[in-house]
Amino acid sequence: MASTAQPDTVSHPTHHKALQGLLTADHIRYDIAISSKKRLLEELAGLLSQQRTALDKDTVCRTLTERERLGSTGIGGGIALPHGRLNGINECIAAAIRLKEPLGFDAPDEQPIGLAIALLVPADAAKQHLQILAELARLFHDAERRDKILKAPDTAGLVALLA
Amino acid sequence: MKIIILGAGQVGLSMAEILSRENNDVTLVDIDPGRLEGLQDHLDLRVIEGSASHPDVLEQAGGHDADLVLAVTNQDEVNMAACQIAYSLFRTPTKIARIRSTSYLSHPEIFCDKAIPIDVLISPEEIITQQVLRLIEYPGALQVVDFAGGRIQLIGLRAYFGGPLVGHQLGELRNHLPTAKTRVAAIYRQNQAIIPHGDTVIEPDDEVFFVAAHDDIREVMSELRLVEKPGNRIMLAGAGNIGLRLAQALEQSHYQVKLIESNRRRARQVAELLDETTVLHGNAADEELMTQENIENAEAFCSITNEDEANILSAMLAKRLGARRTMALVNRSAYVDLVETRMLDIAISPKIATVGILLAHIRRADTVAVHSLRRGAAEVIEIIAHGEPSSSRVVGQRIDQIQFPPGTTISAILRNEEVITARKDTVIEPEDHVIVFVIDKQHIPDVEKLFQVSVTYV
Repeated sequence: MASTAQPDTVSHPTHHKALQGLLTADHIRYDIAISSKKRLLEELAGLLSQQRTALDKDTVCRTLTERERLGSTGIGGGIALPHGRLNGINECIAAAIRLKEPLGFDAPDEQPIGLAIALLVPADAAKQHLQILAELARLFHDAERRDKILKAPDTAGLVALLA
Repeated sequence: MKIIILGAGQVGLSMAEILSRENNDVTLVDIDPGRLEGLQDHLDLRVIEGSASHPDVLEQAGGHDADLVLAVTNQDEVNMAACQIAYSLFRTPTKIARIRSTSYLSHPEIFCDKAIPIDVLISPEEIITQQVLRLIEYPGALQVVDFAGGRIQLIGLRAYFGGPLVGHQLGELRNHLPTAKTRVAAIYRQNQAIIPHGDTVIEPDDEVFFVAAHDDIREVMSELRLVEKPGNRIMLAGAGNIGLRLAQALEQSHYQVKLIESNRRRARQVAELLDETTVLHGNAADEELMTQENIENAEAFCSITNEDEANILSAMLAKRLGARRTMALVNRSAYVDLVETRMLDIAISPKIATVGILLAHIRRADTVAVHSLRRGAAEVIEIIAHGEPSSSRVVGQRIDQIQFPPGTTISAILRNEEVITARKDTVIEPEDHVIVFVIDKQHIPDVEKLFQVSVTYV
């Protein structure tokens, strides 16, 4: 409650918000303990599927798991962006988990992750859908900004930085 | 990867060994504490004593966190129940089980999420049967493995005087066989690997591995050895499940099969199940019987009883008595290393045959098939290239521009159902099935990395 997102937003007016309106506080879990990559994907699938009645948690989880097998969505610096294409949605859906303890995620830099932002994209995704992921990935290239996001004190702080 | 292995028998133990060496987080469960004793002294794994299908045991073994459960206890029913529970309680993403009974295997529809949720079935007997059949199909081959659903095969064989290419540079193969889709992937000379180039000269006794489209295999083999007219007489020893399956399959392909079984009742029983096969009651280590049954005219002799020692001895005898090619089923890896090439032609190892199926599900990137060669030192993998040039390190690249680790060659590509010979200027396209030969297994992680898509791939 103490932290307000306002000053940040004002001080970086030029920064594009990659997840404009997509990520709300309801779909973020903060500082939770998760023991494995498998559990993390399950939790994220839960947060994603609860946003649409038509979505089934198992299907969402399978989608994330299968994408992960093709190549880790860890982008380095302690952040992962699990995602996948899914039938039955018309727009992107996002969710996030900040971990209490760093978790091994097979990231290319072999660093454990502290934050996972998950994204579901419609199966017949248009360019603007795919852009969201690319922008998100680009956003985290900036070490200073990445650090700020990783250290956001609470859900509201994170939302303010991303959405 | 976090992996739970249920059952510390032959297969369970060797998988635990291989997987823990490949940096996986392995927990091995067995009901018999004797089987788990001392394992942790030389392997980096966790052991749990208990019933493999019990929910509390699975939970203790890390069921909530496991990416994969491998159920290889000696009971089909326990393996099935364990997978069911792993699915119901933990939604384990990959469940692999060994199922032996043909009664279950003949109903593949029962293995689905709604009934018995097993993603991959391993039937060692079926794997061995298929392996022997492929070896018999290609006389002279020491190894035959399938890729791309059998459209591409890898053959290992010894080069002999008389083969038109023997004594010549590899590059001439293209002049000899201008239309064949093939590529030599590796040559072993006195057990040393040689990375083949166009000017490499094939010497007699070289062990040559080549990859080719299924329809071109025979033609390529005939370049490396003088082709004698293959006989169609096959002698099998041991009428267990594998022996029976083999005899049935060989009958259908019009081979003349003799099957020797030492148990009189079993011999009578299988005789009734087979139409054309001559079933003999006797011992395959009996020189008189073998001579009487014209072993010297056999195209192949294959011993597949339950006993390694009996299989090795009778195959050695058959070789000495003149069988053209001898094979023995050998479970113990120490024996496999010992006997091959010197005493008999091919040691068939259920372990090596099974491990590939498992590895295909454990490796990163979209690996379809993994086959171990040279007793595990080398590997051939089928892997799908995904993505765009922006999200992949291979898609859109010419083969000679890809930063492959040393001793790694792309041998063939399956593109839209069509087999393509890999040349240095071939450009990899999305969804290509790429067959990669890796002489030194150590480099596998680098190959996987190359084929992994980057984060922006959706």
